[in-house]
Amino acid sequence: MGSVVLADDQVIDAPPSEVFGLFGRSRERGWLFGATCDEVRPGSVIRLLIPMGNRFGGEVLEGTGRIVAVEPNRRIVLNQETPWRGTLTCTIRPEGKAQSRVRVVAEVPEDALAWLLRRGGGDATDPGDPEAWPVGLLVSQSGPASVFAGASVELARLAIDEVNADGRVAGRYLRLEVGDDGTDPKRGAAELRRLVERCDCRVVITNVISSTFSAIARIAERAGVLLIYSPVNEGGPCGQGLFRFGERPLNQLRGSIPRLMRATGGRRWYLAGNNYCWPKTTNRSARRIIERSGGTVVGTRYEALGRRQFEPLLEDIAQSGAELIVSTFIGGDEVEFERQCYEYGLRDRCQTIALALDEATRDHVGDAAGAGLWSPFGYFEQLATSANRQFIERYRSRVGPCAPPVSSLSESVYEAVHLHALAARKAHSWEPDAVGRALEGGVFDGPRGRVAVRDPSMVDQGMFLARSVVGGLKVHDQIA
Amino acid sequence: MSTNAVKTSSAEQSLALDALADPTRREILQVVAAGEDTTVGEIAERVPAVGRTAVSSHLRVLRVAGLVTDRRDGRFRRYSVNTRAAAEVMEFLSDLLRISLADLSTADRRESDSKSNGQRRTR
Repeated sequence: MGSVVLADDQVIDAPPSEVFGLFGRSRERGWLFGATCDEVRPGSVIRLLIPMGNRFGGEVLEGTGRIVAVEPNRRIVLNQETPWRGTLTCTIRPEGKAQSRVRVVAEVPEDALAWLLRRGGGDATDPGDPEAWPVGLLVSQSGPASVFAGASVELARLAIDEVNADGRVAGRYLRLEVGDDGTDPKRGAAELRRLVERCDCRVVITNVISSTFSAIARIAERAGVLLIYSPVNEGGPCGQGLFRFGERPLNQLRGSIPRLMRATGGRRWYLAGNNYCWPKTTNRSARRIIERSGGTVVGTRYEALGRRQFEPLLEDIAQSGAELIVSTFIGGDEVEFERQCYEYGLRDRCQTIALALDEATRDHVGDAAGAGLWSPFGYFEQLATSANRQFIERYRSRVGPCAPPVSSLSESVYEAVHLHALAARKAHSWEPDAVGRALEGGVFDGPRGRVAVRDPSMVDQGMFLARSVVGGLKVHDQIA
Repeated sequence: MSTNAVKTSSAEQSLALDALADPTRREILQVVAAGEDTTVGEIAERVPAVGRTAVSSHLRVLRVAGLVTDRRDGRFRRYSVNTRAAAEVMEFLSDLLRISLADLSTADRRESDSKSNGQRRTR
């Protein structure tokens, strides 16, 4: 795959040590795309702020990345993960007695350029190999949900390569086509149309939030496209080519709420999350389970997606006397909520079940603010099965040690590719109706163990409760 | 530290190196830019170092990157340079690097200002 290299440099009136010391510190705009991080060391996650300029929508987009290499006072190498993939290398050299020459080299791969062209309203759809069957993937490469999207595209590619390695399916090899919903239902609808009309996709796998899924479901149905919603979701309309694979709130909460009450002795719950369908439906289940378990709900509050000032909410939680929290914030919002809970001092009195706290999101929350957080999912990167260890090894050998972590949200994409390819193999056809029929009753033994498609609304799978520890999420218990 | 202490280098002014990474692709792009509605065969004749298949795959990269556009003409695809879209993306990325470094100089100033303010307060 080709890439474009750009470079720029500037002389700064400060010695290298001072320039290096500024990296990652500004919470507003700093240097190197406004990068902020807790620690300047290889593997550390960074958040970026990217002013998109008027030609590309004018917003300031949040991005994510990871530090790959550090030579103190001399060199920093960053892998940018979202909104586009790329590498940033920054070198600092002494210039004269008290100055530095700072040079930044950006390597931008071709799919990132295509993303930028599309963002600018242009058409950069690659017609691809006409012999290969196009599999669409709609993910959030920008916006709050992009925090957990990092590994999805690479895991879809891994699954497609594995399927292709076993030979043609119904006469065709597979190729991947990626769309970005920007965590925005309208953009998601436009991208789904592009995948269908320009890329000829008749199957689209989605790892997006449920408000985007609601916006695209009808478009897919009218276009006769098989649509698979792979990550955690609240349920809803299914059938007619719509499949929902992910964990359900009931399954996530049924085992974890009573366990946390037993472990902490707490009974008073506060329900807080983003203001859209998944958090609200989830909290209806949460309330029922809490009351059945002998607890009470002392407060409920929703905040708009992208809202990052949580002080009024934190005050409300503190005043409510809550001992436990169910968080249904997602992505960047979940990161900020948990960090602000910690800074506010809520961790001393509250433990939290966070339903979208996957490994990638947890990395951005950090070790300190992560203490006291629990996460229920059907998959964790640390699952100690040989199938999972081999899967992680295959992923890491493709993308390197500094790649974004795998989580239930991104691994669900890998499984969806395999499950639907197995269905097409069984049906000897890529016709969406035939694949859909064969998908029901489909079974895949993969990284999370056995998953079985019961019907278009449900996949049967195991469930685990993990606890945030230093370094990440540790599986604590199997809860289903 | 004075407020105009940041010096701008000549490299920054000219925004150097907005170049394509691959030399063959640069050559192909030059051929496409020099002609008008060029076909793969015509390009392959002018760039003899690589075969027709390689030219096609380089063209695909250039097309996905938005640097060339193509149109179908009977059995042929004809390529021309897409100057506007590609230039806009390259300009945006160059600006981003420039802003990034400009932010560094402001961050540096803020830091030194707050240090000197701090010193004043402690005196």
